[in-house]
Amino acid sequence: MSTYYAGLLADIGILVLGALSVYIILVTNQLSLGNAGFMAIGSYVASFLTAEQHWAVTPALIVAALTACVIGVIVGFPALRLKGIYLAIATLGFGEMVRSFFLVFTPMGGSGGYRGMPHVSLGYIWIWAAGILLLVTLLERSRLWLEMRAVHDDERAAGLVGINTTLTKVGAFGFGAAVAAIAGGLFAHHYIYIEPGNFDFQRSIDFVLAVILGGSTVGAGALVGAALLVLLPEWLRFLADWRLAAFGVMLILVLLTRPQGILDRPLLALLRLRRNRAA
Amino acid sequence: MRTHLFGGAIVAVTLIAGLHMAQAQNIITLGAIVPSSGPFAEWGRSNTATLEMLEKQINDAGGINGAKLKIVILDDGAKPAQAANDLRKLAGDDHALAVAGPLTSSACEVTFPVANQMQIVSTSQASSKPGVAKANRPWAFRDTVDEGILARASVPYFKKTFGAKSVAIIYDAKDAVSTAIATKIMPKVFADNGIEVLNASAPVSFNTGDLDVSAQVTKLKSLNPDGVVIGADYSQAITVLREMKRQGLDKPVIGGTPLISSAILAAAPEIPIIAPATFYATMKTPKAEKFVATLQPLLRKTAGLPPDIEPSMYDANIYEIVSMYIDAIKKSGITGKASDLEADRTKIRDYMTNLKGFEGFSGSIGFNADGDASKAFFIVQGQKGAWATKVTGCSTGGSC
Repeated sequence: MSTYYAGLLADIGILVLGALSVYIILVTNQLSLGNAGFMAIGSYVASFLTAEQHWAVTPALIVAALTACVIGVIVGFPALRLKGIYLAIATLGFGEMVRSFFLVFTPMGGSGGYRGMPHVSLGYIWIWAAGILLLVTLLERSRLWLEMRAVHDDERAAGLVGINTTLTKVGAFGFGAAVAAIAGGLFAHHYIYIEPGNFDFQRSIDFVLAVILGGSTVGAGALVGAALLVLLPEWLRFLADWRLAAFGVMLILVLLTRPQGILDRPLLALLRLRRNRAA
Repeated sequence: MRTHLFGGAIVAVTLIAGLHMAQAQNIITLGAIVPSSGPFAEWGRSNTATLEMLEKQINDAGGINGAKLKIVILDDGAKPAQAANDLRKLAGDDHALAVAGPLTSSACEVTFPVANQMQIVSTSQASSKPGVAKANRPWAFRDTVDEGILARASVPYFKKTFGAKSVAIIYDAKDAVSTAIATKIMPKVFADNGIEVLNASAPVSFNTGDLDVSAQVTKLKSLNPDGVVIGADYSQAITVLREMKRQGLDKPVIGGTPLISSAILAAAPEIPIIAPATFYATMKTPKAEKFVATLQPLLRKTAGLPPDIEPSMYDANIYEIVSMYIDAIKKSGITGKASDLEADRTKIRDYMTNLKGFEGFSGSIGFNADGDASKAFFIVQGQKGAWATKVTGCSTGGSC
C-alpha cells in the first residue's frame, strides 16, 4: 500500500471514531454538533500526558477519554432540558467554547499550536477504531442498546416502562465524548502537531455527515460514511476546481436515494442472508 | 510492394512507439501544494496560475535538459491534514522530485515532518511562523524571511517617519502567524526602539472571518496611540482599516508580510501602511515587471480572479522555489529516472542546503542553517493606492 493511501486510511480510522461518537449520542435522539470540542479535549489532554509527562500513548488516551467522559456527563445534564435544534445549537456553542479556550490557553501553545508528541502508526489507529466499532456493534445487540433506542423512539413511554431516561441520555453523552476524545488523541499523535483550528465547527459537521451518509441506524454506517467522506474528494481530483462541487452533488444524490444513509438494518440483513446462502 | 508497405508500416509504428516511450521517459515531475479552496483560495488559485505559466515557459523553451517539466499541483484547502496527505501522494504515488508548498504555517507544521520521513524537499512559499523549518531539518525549507528580522527593520523606519512614541495592537487571534507578530515579535522590537505599547497587557483581538470590529477599533481609539499594529493577513486587515477610517482613526499602521496586497491599499487610501516584503506587484525591476506583465492576464483568464488582484509575494516565492528546483536539476546531474529517485531527491536537498546567489526577484537568495531564506527585503509604505520602497535590507544582516 502506498504511503498516500496509508495516510488516507489513518484519516478514515480517526473519522470513524468521530462519527461513532456522534452516533452513540444520536441513538438516544440527541444531536451533538460539538463533538469537535470533546475531540479537542482528548487531543490536548493526551498530548500533555505524552509530551510533558512522558506517559505511553495508550494510558494517555485512556485518561483523555475519561476526562472527556466526565465533561460529557457535565454537558449532558443541562442538555437534558433541550431537544432538537436547540440541543444542536447548545452543543455547537460548547464546541466553539472549547476551541476558543485552547486558542488563548498559552501553556498548551494557544493559537501557535502544540507539538512534541510521539507518532502513532496506522495499525495503532485501526486497533482503536476497529475495537470501538466492534464494541458498539456488540452493544447494539444488548439490552442497554434497546433501552437507548426506546429513549430515541419515545422518551416518555421508555420512562413509563422503568427505563432511567436521564441516566441513559447522560451516559450516552459521556460515552460519545470519550470516543471523540480517543479520536482526538489519535489525531494529535498521528500528525504530531495540534492547534485549535483543527477542532472547529467543520470537524463536528464532518462527524455528523459521516453518520448521516453512512447510515444513522447502524454503527457500521460510520465506517461507510467515513470512508466515503475521505476517499471521494481524493478520487474526484481529476475534476480539479470542480471536485468539491461534484462531491456536494454526489452527497445530495446519495441522500435523495438513501435518506436513511447507505447502510441500514434491512440492507445489513440482506447482506447477511446472501452470505449465509453462499456458505 | 505489399511487403515493402508492410515493412514500412512496422518501421513507422516502431519509431512512433519509440518516440512516445522516449517522451514518456523524459518527464521531470515536480509537485506543488496550494490552497485552491478554503480561506486562502485566492492565493492558492494565483499560485496555480503562476506554476502553470512557469511550466509552459520551461517546456516552450525546450524543457529541462531535454526533458519535459510536469508540475503536479494539489489543493490542500489550507487544511494541515490534507496538506500532509498531498505530500504523501506527490512523493509516493506521483514520484515528484521535490515539492513547492504548503502555503500556511499550520500546514507546514504537519507536512514538514512527513517530508523528512519520506526524504523529499518541501519548501513553503508563505510560512513565516518562527521556527517551523528549523524544527524539521534537513528536508524542510521556506522561501520566506523570519518576521522578527523584518520587524527590526520596519519599526525604526516607522518611528523615524511618523515620530511614533506609542502604538496600540489589534490582531487576529485565530491565526498563529498574526498572533506571533502582534503579541510576541512586535512588542519586543517596539520596546527595543523606545516605543510604548499602550495595550501590551491586553491587546485587542478578533477572529478570522469577523465582519464587525467596531468595538475593537473603538477601544483602540480610546487609547489615542500614535500608530496601530495590525497582526492579520490583508483580507482581515481590510476590515480593520475600513473601520478605522469610519471612526476617524487615521493613524499610521504597521504589520508583517501578510499585510502586503494591492487590495489593502484600496480599503483606506489615506491611512499610511508600513509592511515588509520581498516582492510587490509594482516593483520597478525588469524581472518583476516582466513577471507581473505575463502573470496578471492569466490571473483573470485561468484563475478567474477579479481584475484588481495583482500577483502576490507568494506567487513570486513559489515561482522562485520551482525555478530553484529546475536550476538544481540542470546543475546537479539529476536524471529524473525512477531508479534514481532517491539520489535525485538528495541532490536537490544538497543544492538547496548549499544554495548561494540564486537570482530571485529581490536579489540573490540562499538558505540559512534553519532552512529559512537569506534574501533581500524591502520595507514598503503603502499610501494613496501604491506601495513604495523606503528601506532595503538583507535577512542575513549584511548585503544579499
